[in-house]
Amino acid sequence: MTESRVHHKLSPKEIVLGILRWFLILFFAAYTLFPLIWLTISSLKTNFEFLALSPFALPAVPQWQNYANALSVAGLGRMLLNSVFVGLLATVFNVIVASMSAYCISRFRFNGRERIYTLFTAGILVPLNALMVPYFVIINKLGLYNTYGGMVLLYCAIGIPMSTFLIRGLMDSIPMDLEEAAYIDGCGFYGRFFHIILPLSRTGIVTAATFEFLTCWNEFVFANLIVSSEKLRTIQVGIRYFTNQFSTDYVSMYAAIVISIVPSILGYILFQEQIISGMTSGAVKG
Amino acid sequence: MKPTRSDRSALAAFMAPALIIMLVFFVIPVIYVVVVSVLKWNGISTATFTDIQNFAKLFKDKAFVRSVTNNVIWALVAGFIQVPLAMVMAIILSRKPAGWKFFRTVYFFPQVISGIALATLWRAIYNADTGLLNGLLRSIGLGDLARDWLGTVDTAFPAVLIYWVFYVGYYMVIMMADITTIDSSYYEAATIDGASDFQQAIYITIPLIKRTSLLTCVTLASVLGLRQFEQVYMLTNGGPANRTSTMVLYMYKKLQDTNYGMASASAVILIIVGVIFIVCIRALFNIGNDEVRAQKKMRRAVK
Amino acid sequence: MKKLIALLLAMVMVFALAACGQQTAPAGEQPAAEQPAAEQPAGEIVINFPSIWVGTDSKAEYMGKLIEAFNEENAGAIKVVVEEQTDYQAYRDKIRTTITTGSAPDICILDTTFDIKAYAESGKFMDLTPYLEAGWGDTFTDGAFDAWSVDGKVSILPFESAVFTPIYNTEILAAAGWDHFPATYDEFFQMAEDVKAAGYNVMGQMAGDNAWSSMLWYSLIVEAIGGKDVYANGLSDPAFVEAAKVLKEMYNYTFDGAVSATAGDVNGHFIARDTAIYLNGPWWIANFYKEDNAVDGKLLADVCEVAVNPGYGEGKGVGGLVTTVQGFLAAAKQDDPAKEAAVVKFLQYVTDPAHVSELALSSGAMFFVKYTPSPDTNVISQKVTEVANSAEFTILHVNGAFPTAFSTEFPAAVSALVLGEVDEQGFVDMLQTAIDNAA
Repeated sequence: MTESRVHHKLSPKEIVLGILRWFLILFFAAYTLFPLIWLTISSLKTNFEFLALSPFALPAVPQWQNYANALSVAGLGRMLLNSVFVGLLATVFNVIVASMSAYCISRFRFNGRERIYTLFTAGILVPLNALMVPYFVIINKLGLYNTYGGMVLLYCAIGIPMSTFLIRGLMDSIPMDLEEAAYIDGCGFYGRFFHIILPLSRTGIVTAATFEFLTCWNEFVFANLIVSSEKLRTIQVGIRYFTNQFSTDYVSMYAAIVISIVPSILGYILFQEQIISGMTSGAVKG
Repeated sequence: MKPTRSDRSALAAFMAPALIIMLVFFVIPVIYVVVVSVLKWNGISTATFTDIQNFAKLFKDKAFVRSVTNNVIWALVAGFIQVPLAMVMAIILSRKPAGWKFFRTVYFFPQVISGIALATLWRAIYNADTGLLNGLLRSIGLGDLARDWLGTVDTAFPAVLIYWVFYVGYYMVIMMADITTIDSSYYEAATIDGASDFQQAIYITIPLIKRTSLLTCVTLASVLGLRQFEQVYMLTNGGPANRTSTMVLYMYKKLQDTNYGMASASAVILIIVGVIFIVCIRALFNIGNDEVRAQKKMRRAVK
Repeated sequence: MKKLIALLLAMVMVFALAACGQQTAPAGEQPAAEQPAAEQPAGEIVINFPSIWVGTDSKAEYMGKLIEAFNEENAGAIKVVVEEQTDYQAYRDKIRTTITTGSAPDICILDTTFDIKAYAESGKFMDLTPYLEAGWGDTFTDGAFDAWSVDGKVSILPFESAVFTPIYNTEILAAAGWDHFPATYDEFFQMAEDVKAAGYNVMGQMAGDNAWSSMLWYSLIVEAIGGKDVYANGLSDPAFVEAAKVLKEMYNYTFDGAVSATAGDVNGHFIARDTAIYLNGPWWIANFYKEDNAVDGKLLADVCEVAVNPGYGEGKGVGGLVTTVQGFLAAAKQDDPAKEAAVVKFLQYVTDPAHVSELALSSGAMFFVKYTPSPDTNVISQKVTEVANSAEFTILHVNGAFPTAFSTEFPAAVSALVLGEVDEQGFVDMLQTAIDNAA
């Protein structure tokens, strides 16, 4: 359909729209790339340049030793791996549990269904900072203090309401007749879930998974609270290595942030291709 | 669908993990929060029952009232300005202009950049002395408008809010994925009928994503607006004069004061405000939606 | 069907991975549990110490060595395991949570943002009084425990101290025609006019973040006006309203954007040499000697001089000094006497005057321990110490004198004051309300 339009003679209105479109595209690109560029430039300054001179000036001499500093933090690589490991595991568990519950809530009418859904919805709003004390107690009582298991469980758990909400929203839009037909053909509870609903709700599941992974990746309060061993520390703890009680070594911290961003952006680019191809090969809506 | 007898056990098995998690990590902790919200407790000495005094104190505190208003504004702006912006970009990029894959990736970047870095950057941009914004204003002869953006009563909250509005990548990606699942025959038919891109967006794309990804994004953005903490904490810590405070930041400060009672009371109010908000959004999206009514009718028929 | 199998496989893998993960890091409240049993000699006492004196902290290097040496000396008997914490706010959150839930770490570092009195009264911390009375207490400075003991018992040990006195850039004052630092606040504002006229900022104020610099200035002014007993009647002393007036006036002499400024801005302006006076604790002194901060080959220390807090009119504050406890050492109550002895042994090791002297030299920090300063101590540190030693009396920094709620509310109150949202009395009222709410 695009080709058919190319041969059209462009009307003034279309030209204006075209300019507007490219203005928007480039504006948003600049807006999102700017922080990344600024961060990279800042990570090559001295602290004097960063604090005392204009924050938007270029460094006189690029300070590559900031990167050496950042890399010298014991176990930065391990922290990255921990973040990926914990984030992936929590995300997988999270979306499995959430899609199961979303399936039930979305497709079946049973007693207490609405009440349960209200519970999930309220769960999204709970400010987790208020739960530091109970979470600390729960994780300790389960014997999971200072373990990967504790982090995975907690991260998986705190994302359940949001993921259920996101996945249910998508499942609701799947027409019932598809399922009815399968039901009449003798397809059971599990069959309908795996063969019809799950493939059709990929978009929702991917949305939930991305959100959950980002939550894990950026989470700091609980990563610090329920873990004490350096071996289990995540990247957010690593980034804060350069802050102390009185001051922050900004430039080294920025170098650490840049180092930590690289794998996540690469990961995202790779992951994105997988998601998108998975999603577009799914059913069409109408 | 009404569960059959055999479905029932399967249903129970499917709901169980989520329900157990909800019970352990939400219901019990929230009960704890509700209990503490009627106590006077510093976390170490013996707690005393105070009735609803904590709530009374909250509503007497101008900082808290402002936090609630800020959050509501934030949620509305996120849901009804940020998300529509994201939708426009999703529609534009799903038309696959040159380099669309590159842009789709770039728009997502802010999500993976640490909040600390974003906050320091924006503090630098808004800085009164050396900030980019004031520099820009001065260079185009509007030097009179230059000010301490984050340190002025009238501009601090808009400044904190506005910069965030343009980071639309996350919502854009969600809606783009949804748009790609729309049957292309709709557009082909519309093109033959001579509908412009703009008309196609209004009459095909938006109605088809409205109940799915658009609703999801609006709710998500509003919820994140109501839970807003990290951005504000690192950019302004609620200042000046509590102008940029939010409910979670307020609560966090009460936790620091070991004022567990008031902290919990504000958490309870946040949950209530949030549930009201979500119910309203759902109602807003359901009103006049024939599709939903039809779906409901069909479900009733099946039952 | 393929997809189902793939999904199931993925789930199995994940479970297996999870199991591995848990095996490599077995559960347990003590970090000691991470050590395979074989490596841990029987009977070894493990002391768990979450510490912020790590990473880029100035005390990190020597503390690290000290703990290593202690572990070596007591190999097989005692082992101190440090849990590194660099983000102070997160550290506070964690310590508060562990103490509230009754699982306080064996040793931790507290500061004045904790409700020290309530903690001391709680009985959750080890009573150190018998050990202190047995001679250990004599190694601490006189009166160190006075403000923090409950019923004559000491359970939370003041360790790192700080004094706050202005340090000024002599070149900037000279450029403004001043060859000395003002002795009174009247004179101070005359100097401020001259410095401003010469094109410089007088001092860095900040109401952003935790408003640290402004809170320090406020303490100094309160001290100058109210003197020794200013805290006796809480915030009702008229000195607090009067001091608010002076603080507000100071905002006319700071850099643009002070209302939203943070510590980074204050430090940045001073090291950029556009601001005359700097006020912070002794831990910052090391920055005066950093090559990084040199301009035209001159270190910051080469152009700076230590001053004393000016007096205020007929004020009662002459000869006084603002101090605070920057770090308390606290130990959780132990049931096992052997472990209690081990913890005390470690605390005594850390607070040993010889070690503290080294720690002071390497970090620039000051302590509540009587030690002989090393002759290698830098000039600015020496001068700050002189100022401290010549003080006739000391008062606490406001953040130590009032409950945490005071400090949490301070940024909002000071910005409201400066922006004219409240008057001086309103400023004090805001702080009082915050304290009342939390009490």
